[in-house]
Parts: sequence; C-alpha cells; structure tokens
Amino acid sequence: MNENLFASFAAPSMMGLPIVVLIVMFPSVLFPTPSRLINNRLISIQQWLIQLTSKQMLAIHNQKGRTWALMLMSLILFIGSTNLLGLLPHSFTPTTQLSMNLGMAIPLWAGTVITGFRYKTKVSLAHFLPQGTPLPLIPMLVVIETISLLIQPMALAVRLTANITAGHLLIHLIGGATLALINISVTTAFITFIILILLTILEFAVALIQAYVFTLLVSLYLHDNT
Amino acid sequence: MLQNLVKSVWVPMKPYYTQAYQEIWLGMGLMSLIVYKIRSADKRSKALKGKIFASSKGWGTKDTILLSQDTVSHGL
Repeated sequence: MNENLFASFAAPSMMGLPIVVLIVMFPSVLFPTPSRLINNRLISIQQWLIQLTSKQMLAIHNQKGRTWALMLMSLILFIGSTNLLGLLPHSFTPTTQLSMNLGMAIPLWAGTVITGFRYKTKVSLAHFLPQGTPLPLIPMLVVIETISLLIQPMALAVRLTANITAGHLLIHLIGGATLALINISVTTAFITFIILILLTILEFAVALIQAYVFTLLVSLYLHDNT
Repeated sequence: MLQNLVKSVWVPMKPYYTQAYQEIWLGMGLMSLIVYKIRSADKRSKALKGKIFASSKGWGTKDTILLSQDTVSHGL
C-alpha cells in the first residue's frame, strides 16, 4: 500500500528511456496554433479565454511589464493544462516534481529581480526597507526583507508541488478506502465515494487556482520591479 | 526541417529571445549553476560514502577517516 501510494509520483520511463519530456510537451498539442482569422470552435474558445485572462492579468503593468505577456500567458496555460491532465487516472503530473517547479520558479523570479536591479536600481534596493521603519529596527528588517526575497522562488515552487501532490495523495487514499469499505459496509463506502467525488471537484478547482496563483505571483514580482 | 523550424519558431520569437527575455536567460544560468552545485555535492558525498563502506576495513584513506569521524560525531 505504502509503495503504491508514491509509485505514481516516480518519473515514468518506457523501455529504459525517460518519457518525461514527451509528457511535458503533450499539453501544447491541446492548444493548436490559430491559422485563420475566424477559427474553429476549440481555438475560438481558447482565444477568448486567453484574451480574458491576459486583459485581467496585464491591467496593472506598464509598457515594460507587458513585454512579459507571452511568458505569463504561456505559464498559466502550461501549469493549468498540466495540472488538469494530471487528474486523469494513472497519469503522471510533471508539476508534482519539485525539480520541475523550481525550474520554472527560479528563472522567472530571478528574471524579475534582475529586471528591477537593471532598470530601477534605487527603487529595487529601497524595497529592502519598508517605509516608516524605526531607526533601531533597520538592520534587522533589512535582513528579514532579504530573506523574504530569497525565499520567494522556494515558496512558489513548494506551494505548487505540495498542493498538487497532496491532492493526488488524498484522492489515492480515499479511493483506496472506498474500495476497501465496499466489502465491509456498503453505506460507509457510498459516503466515502461521495467524499471522493467532492474532493475530485475540489482538485479541478485547485489545479486551475494553483496555476493562477503561480502566474499572479510572478506577475506581482514583475510589477514590483518594473 | 531546420528551415521550417527557423521560419516558424525563431523568426516570430526572435525579439522575445534576444530582448525581452534577457533577464530570464540570466535566471536560467543561475538555476543551472545551482543544479550543478547540488549535483556535484551529491556525487562527491556518495563517492565518499562508497569509499568507506566498500573498502574491506573501512578506514583506508585520510578522507574516509575524516568522514567517518564526522559521521560518528554526529551520531550516524
């Protein structure tokens, strides 16, 4: 049971070859490139959703920040589609791997910080000390703000990993419990099954929310630095 | 195939890769440095542990003695 619980998080391989790259590239197949002025229904719906999201997300940004529009939209689409595909039974979810999420978080966070230091050095350095800090607290607060800055990519990555992994584990556990309870008490198994359905609906929401939170935080870090 | 790749990917994405994402490339360099440091440290510690437990008496070289003293002092 214990070994089965974590087996779904192991990197998949077929005949000794790692197929993680194929799995990571798969969601892009679900978003065909629009080739006409008026496209088919799937592409039109996707375009409408992307326009809605990008309008809302980029409203706070200035011209410099809006150069990141493609990156932010790609990020939310990738994480959202990967998380949703991971809810299919027996599928592998790349965003359960901390290495993958750190690989997304560190370059994007570092990009925003370097942008801030490059174009607005004084303002970026001023972020290390909140306005109105009493004089004796300044050294301590500079240290605290530095630590909070350096923790941002870790928090981004671990938040996504933990949420998706925990959700999948819960689904595994409650699904296993439902199956085990069928032979013992059908009523209890039915109640557990209802809980499983509600949890799955929650996981659909969590999959999209976590994609949105990740992208929104990167967008906020960018806004602070542009 | 390469020509098609250049026409469909590189040409539309060139301003992003060359101008807009300069800082992200630096961030990717930082991330690869971190990955390299972690992997090399992991390889080094595994090689050292392998030396201790693979040798017949376990106290062969200066490195293994120092590491074993370190593991003993930490109660491992």
